[in-house]
Amino acid sequence: MAASLNEKVRKTVNESKILVVGAGGIGCELLKNLVLTGFTDIEVIDLDTIDVSNLNRQFLFRKEHVGKSKAQVAKESAQKFNPDAKIISYHDSIMSPDYGVDFFQKFKVVMNALDNRAARNHVNRMCLAADIPLIESGTAENRTEETDLPVIKTSSFTLSMHDISSLIQGLTECYECQPKPTQKTFPGCTIRNTPSEPIHCIVWAKHLFNQLFGEEDPDQDVSPDTEDPELAGEAGQSALQTDAKDDAVVFTVNGNSMEKETTAYTSRPRSFTYLSASESAGIRDQKLWTIQECADVFSNCLPKLKAELSQQGEGGMLVWDKDDESAMDFVTAVANIRAYIFGIQTKTRFDIKSMAGNIIPAIATTNAIIAGLLVMEGLKILTGNIDKCRTVYLNRQPNPRKKLLVPCILDKPNPKCYVCSAKPEVTVILNTQKITVKVLEEKIIKGQLNMVAPDVEIDDGKENADKFLSDFGIKNGSRLKCDDFLQNYELNITIVHKRYTFSMK
Amino acid sequence: MVEQETITEDEAALYDRQIRLWGLDAQRRVLLIGVRGLGAEVAKNIVLSGIKSLTLMDHSQITEEDASSQFLVNRADVGKNFDIVCATCCKPTDLIRINNICAQNAVKFFAGDVFGFYGYMFSDLGVHEYAEEVPKPKAKPTTEQDNGEPAVKKSKTEEEHETVTSMAFKRLKEALEMDWTTPDAVKKIKKTPNTYFIMKVLLKFMDKNERRPATTSREGDMEQLSTLRKQLLEDLKLKDDLLIEDFAENCFAELSPVCAIVGGVLGQEIIKAVSQKDAPHNNFFFYNGTDGGGLVDNIG
Repeated sequence: MAASLNEKVRKTVNESKILVVGAGGIGCELLKNLVLTGFTDIEVIDLDTIDVSNLNRQFLFRKEHVGKSKAQVAKESAQKFNPDAKIISYHDSIMSPDYGVDFFQKFKVVMNALDNRAARNHVNRMCLAADIPLIESGTAENRTEETDLPVIKTSSFTLSMHDISSLIQGLTECYECQPKPTQKTFPGCTIRNTPSEPIHCIVWAKHLFNQLFGEEDPDQDVSPDTEDPELAGEAGQSALQTDAKDDAVVFTVNGNSMEKETTAYTSRPRSFTYLSASESAGIRDQKLWTIQECADVFSNCLPKLKAELSQQGEGGMLVWDKDDESAMDFVTAVANIRAYIFGIQTKTRFDIKSMAGNIIPAIATTNAIIAGLLVMEGLKILTGNIDKCRTVYLNRQPNPRKKLLVPCILDKPNPKCYVCSAKPEVTVILNTQKITVKVLEEKIIKGQLNMVAPDVEIDDGKENADKFLSDFGIKNGSRLKCDDFLQNYELNITIVHKRYTFSMK
Repeated sequence: MVEQETITEDEAALYDRQIRLWGLDAQRRVLLIGVRGLGAEVAKNIVLSGIKSLTLMDHSQITEEDASSQFLVNRADVGKNFDIVCATCCKPTDLIRINNICAQNAVKFFAGDVFGFYGYMFSDLGVHEYAEEVPKPKAKPTTEQDNGEPAVKKSKTEEEHETVTSMAFKRLKEALEMDWTTPDAVKKIKKTPNTYFIMKVLLKFMDKNERRPATTSREGDMEQLSTLRKQLLEDLKLKDDLLIEDFAENCFAELSPVCAIVGGVLGQEIIKAVSQKDAPHNNFFFYNGTDGGGLVDNIG
């Protein structure tokens, strides 16, 4: 095994304990590469179970594994490549408090094969706290202005790690040293009042789903916004006053009970004529449904979703999932009905799944290449060639310098990084009279700053959750000390009070 | 161009991600020669892509890297039975022979190999037509009408349009036997990936010894590689620093992550050739695991 490596390196490889975070597309390929390179001491963690749509690229899984733990099956399959390899699997979230600094310190290198930023940020902080090198990887999408569908232009593999020996400040950039672009969001008024593209209708449909079956979120209101200046005056008012004569359907929501109410929009909505349902051949996902078909699907999936919800008992809620058939049917039908009303092109269930599920068409070969690069970088770290480590980007087409793989020298840490600098600082602009303690904790400290178990120096007991920050004397220039015990991370937050801010998402 | 085949709902679910990328086009028949580290990666990648027919061919024992002298790839078989042939672990005389047979029968040809930290991929797709999606420039929407009412924003029906491009490829023989002493070639040398020259040495070794460099004869093979290197530099009138001397230390066996990288690129190129979507890499991809470079170049 690994006859390409010299004896000393082989010994190092054999003795090094590696953590693989994530057993999905990249994770499966990575486990195979590690075992075949001669690594025999590996731990793998993933909270997911295997879905049928994983089988086309997560090659360690078979049909009979659907529903089972990814980490466990990946371990069993990879172990067959080398029965001497000792692999431990955890069917769990890496963000659970069970995996503290002690856990991370067991490893020589941590390799991320994750699909979400929250977990990436968390592992970054854990590795900083444990002083263990981290190799990050991922595939990136590139949404172009002109299209609704995500297009992969480049799939990137990024590497970040810090010097094993340095204590205060790392040798290289950490994952959070540079701000990452946030996911594309749309202004509320576009979603609620003036959709012009299919994606606006899809987002609206997802919001409606959450309003009906999921967690209530005031940011996801679906009714027309009367305060919207674009709709001020006649248009907005009449939209709410006109009765059913235009036959445009608006869904109004009362708590968890559903009522279909017919009102009308004045601008644009066209009347609702049922097209005859043609029995066109083809796969259900691939053909455009007629409005009649959308309506049928809508009425079929409603009782199903309602039943799912009531199964959960009092206070239960559904979480929208693109792979849940009824949930996906609901969004397809609702989005297309809304699109039809506004004269926007309708889309196939297949396309809507892409957009609603933010599906990045990651493919087996990209994952294979990235997982190969991960091991190459890992070998450099383990053999002490940290200066040779690179961030490597995989292009779809070679660049003018003929490079398909583009290795870049690792950047120095950002001295102002709000995570890895000596004294992490961050400024938060908000309206202290409008933001409650609960919103500060849930949406800002956990949601934006990605802490897991934050402790802020205000009395944040349950009874205070709905009080505004100003009730605690927090004003412009106030400084809050925020501490996350699990991440071993302390952050000073400076509050800048602004009366008019956009709603915090 | 391609025949439309029907697929079942189950298959559609299974190949969801692939269809998103490559469309529902029909599948082609692929012959894969040589199933070692790189061949296994390529096989895995193209099977995952949903290719319907893959034939594996390997004459060797798994344990010993034996001579690959007699390749029984029959002219008639290749031409009649396959749309694509991918040859790994073959010596250059065999590769050139298979390539020529493929070219005569309009079969797409790929070759690849991994030697330790180094690897390459070559492709000869003959005259290849492929479609590319080019985003259309966005028309400026008129946001306001004369009366101040927000105008109806036009819904987008066609965001992209497809263009079809034709690309011509060279035979492997031209690429490997290229004359590097002509004034034009001399200018190109500096920009040519050094892995190309490393591959030339290794391929020469295989032709000469009817086998790959082997760990069991490591010392002797390294010496021979060093001699071949010198000879190549002299023959092509190349400067000594163009081809690092210690490459010989890093070219034994197949390093798994290198197979994954080269096999990923090679697999993707086969999928592109099948689907006739996106520009293929014409005609080499080189990976050098000692410096992390992965380069595409047109040689020959």
